[in-house]
Amino acid sequence: MKQLLSIVVLACMMIVPSLGHGQDWSPKDSITLQIGFGAGGSTDIMGRLVAAKIEENTGWNIVVENKPGGGGIAMFSSLMRQKPDGLTLGLGVSMPIFLNLASRGDQIPFNIDTFDYLATIMRGEIAMVAKADAPYNTLEELIAYAKNQKGGIAVAFDAKPQQMVLEPVARDAEVKFKFVKHKSGAEQVQSILGGHVDVGCTAGEHVKYIESGDLKMIASMSKDRQACAPDAKTLIENGFELYLEPYFYIAAPKGLPENVKAALAKAFDEAINSDSVKQGLLNSMQATAHNLGPQGTHTMMSQGAVDIKALVEAATTQQQ
Amino acid sequence: MIDIHTILAGLADALSLYNLFFVWLGIIVGQLVGAIPGIGPVMAMAIAIPFTFTLNPLPAIGFLMGVSKGGLVGGAIPAILINTPGTPDAAATTLDGYPMTKNGKPEKATKMALYSSVTGDAFSDIILITVAPFIAVVALKMGPIEIFALMVFAFSIIAGLVGDSVAKGIASAGLGLLCATVGLDPENSSPRFIFGYFELYDGVPLVSMALGMLAVAEVLRRMAGIRGKIESAIVISKAQNKADRRVSFVEFWKCRYTILRGSVIGTILGAIPGLDSSAASFLSYATAKQASSDPESFGKGNIHGVAATESANSAVAGANLIPLLTLGIPGNLAAALIISALMIHGIQPGPLLFQEQGQLIYGLFGTLLMANILNLFSGLLGLRLWTKVIQAPESIIFPAALLLCMTGVYLATGGMFGVAVMFVFAFLGYLMSSYGYSVIVFVIAFFLGERFELSLSQSLNIIDGDLSILFSHPVALTLFAMAIISIFWFGLGVKCKGTSEDSQSS
Repeated sequence: MKQLLSIVVLACMMIVPSLGHGQDWSPKDSITLQIGFGAGGSTDIMGRLVAAKIEENTGWNIVVENKPGGGGIAMFSSLMRQKPDGLTLGLGVSMPIFLNLASRGDQIPFNIDTFDYLATIMRGEIAMVAKADAPYNTLEELIAYAKNQKGGIAVAFDAKPQQMVLEPVARDAEVKFKFVKHKSGAEQVQSILGGHVDVGCTAGEHVKYIESGDLKMIASMSKDRQACAPDAKTLIENGFELYLEPYFYIAAPKGLPENVKAALAKAFDEAINSDSVKQGLLNSMQATAHNLGPQGTHTMMSQGAVDIKALVEAATTQQQ
Repeated sequence: MIDIHTILAGLADALSLYNLFFVWLGIIVGQLVGAIPGIGPVMAMAIAIPFTFTLNPLPAIGFLMGVSKGGLVGGAIPAILINTPGTPDAAATTLDGYPMTKNGKPEKATKMALYSSVTGDAFSDIILITVAPFIAVVALKMGPIEIFALMVFAFSIIAGLVGDSVAKGIASAGLGLLCATVGLDPENSSPRFIFGYFELYDGVPLVSMALGMLAVAEVLRRMAGIRGKIESAIVISKAQNKADRRVSFVEFWKCRYTILRGSVIGTILGAIPGLDSSAASFLSYATAKQASSDPESFGKGNIHGVAATESANSAVAGANLIPLLTLGIPGNLAAALIISALMIHGIQPGPLLFQEQGQLIYGLFGTLLMANILNLFSGLLGLRLWTKVIQAPESIIFPAALLLCMTGVYLATGGMFGVAVMFVFAFLGYLMSSYGYSVIVFVIAFFLGERFELSLSQSLNIIDGDLSILFSHPVALTLFAMAIISIFWFGLGVKCKGTSEDSQSS
């Protein structure tokens, strides 16, 4: 009897997914989109924007839940235990996940392969910026300036990876950067404008100030130059093989059936590339929507984790 | 300079019925969520933002501002009536508001809270409208070192709240600071005291701590005191003197300096990004007590205590818009929500805002002033309702409040973890108040702790061992000096009081 049951169950398991194949999946119940950050932050606004658009496009019901804690670690730790039925998804940011996996991976219950990936919403553009009247315009000039300053220069940052990318720069150029931690990009802008620090590393917050002429970009810390300041060179162009690219991405517990994954990926892609979401992202984060798709997101996550791990290891060996 | 035509067009937008309707709706929602322990205006705003996409920018922002302003009024109501602040901002209002209720003057206390709240709010709105760009430039000069000095000064003033035993006060403050260090450290992001809970990476959730210590502990204490008899949560005697049910103009006028001081403190702290309204209300309370000719009556139902805290925490709301509109920097969480709402409507707060969106800005200014008036009248109506609700039997009120606290914390922290943390703090709060340790000092130390630590680490990095840098920060030096003076002052005051009590007892 028991054997029969297990055979039936096995058969069902094999048949059900293949039955589903080819036919469009639609959720039987509400989908919960968990956001790894608190209500009101940029990640939250982004998630709600995309969820509202999917509801409008597909008629599905999406409930947005905030699960803040540890830059998304708390949310992903509970998401991994959910059923992979496509009804529970998570929105997180890649950088803090990479950093935590690299620096204390043994304490974290998941890794990159614990999840299935559906989409990225956008890519944050990080830049080193200074006040418009600062006596330097490029990274070279900044380094020359820093050499003449007795105590070095004060550099604001709000996430550890920014510091880890700039530490090798200071080391190679033999200058001193005094790293001053801030809580957010907005607070960095405040410190830069108030003259309390010399430069800062902001993720998008700089765009409107560059347009208004209050800030200028010293270097782009992304892979490419940025639209708001096309003349500012990247770190790579300056001879430092370093860059940061935080992605905002959607993940689900591992083992989503193929048709569910395809239907969800399609729904997210349509929403992310819709005019209203694109416009909303542009307005609220000065960034363009950028969906890598399920495969692309997985590649980005795997590669990013390796890159950041190398960065962390380089930083720790340097300290010893 | 913006021409008068733009200003008038903006004000006309503000006065349209359509706009006023949404502002009023926001205020009603705000007062309601503010008065219900657990569900704060910030959460209501976060939930409401997607719904405002469909509105025009002015009614959308007006609605959100209404929720924020209404919440500040609403939060004081349960703080005064049942000693459980509806929002963390109202924590200080319990200090004198609840004793007034116990003295049989709940209506007087809530009305005073409403009047001083609206006055403080209107004061900071007028400052915002008239001299915002100037204040914003001054506030920018408050860098990490100045903020650190301000924190030290704030702690020294709070010494005045400690109560009779200095040792117990220091113990509560130390415990509050210790709890504030839970989570990632600001310097190297290494986790501290998390005991394997990733939920604690960002520190102890503020709502869990505040509601646990202040609201749930009180509810449990009151429920433990129920003796099988059906009693109202508060008893308002029928034969009550009419003068005890309202605030006369003379009484209001007597509080004018207290309210003005509260408004100024709230406006200054609100204009500096990163400091929240709880800090403002505690500072205002401490200075009002110090300035009073009768400091002994504070904490026993002095109407000045209510006026001081409510004027200060509401003044923060208007002043928060100063750095927001002029520099694009949000002062606190509510302001950050307003900024994201503005941005979604394609409006960039920041240096260019006044030129690009003059009509909208003056429309917003008009809306803010109208919101104050609507807040006053809705508040007066609402108070009647709340005082009726609160007269229901204790056995209904307190379990309901407990349930609402749990729901609110569950929503705000995204799960049962936050609720569990809330009960841990409720237990701690119960123990502390039973043994005479000040819960309020614990809470304020916790509130200030995070910013204190961050600004200390920032300052140390900027100074980098070279103390001569301090001399280029005259504001910070002045604040440090004021801190030393106030420790001396308050320390002396406590000592005198202590010896006089000793001599009385012996």
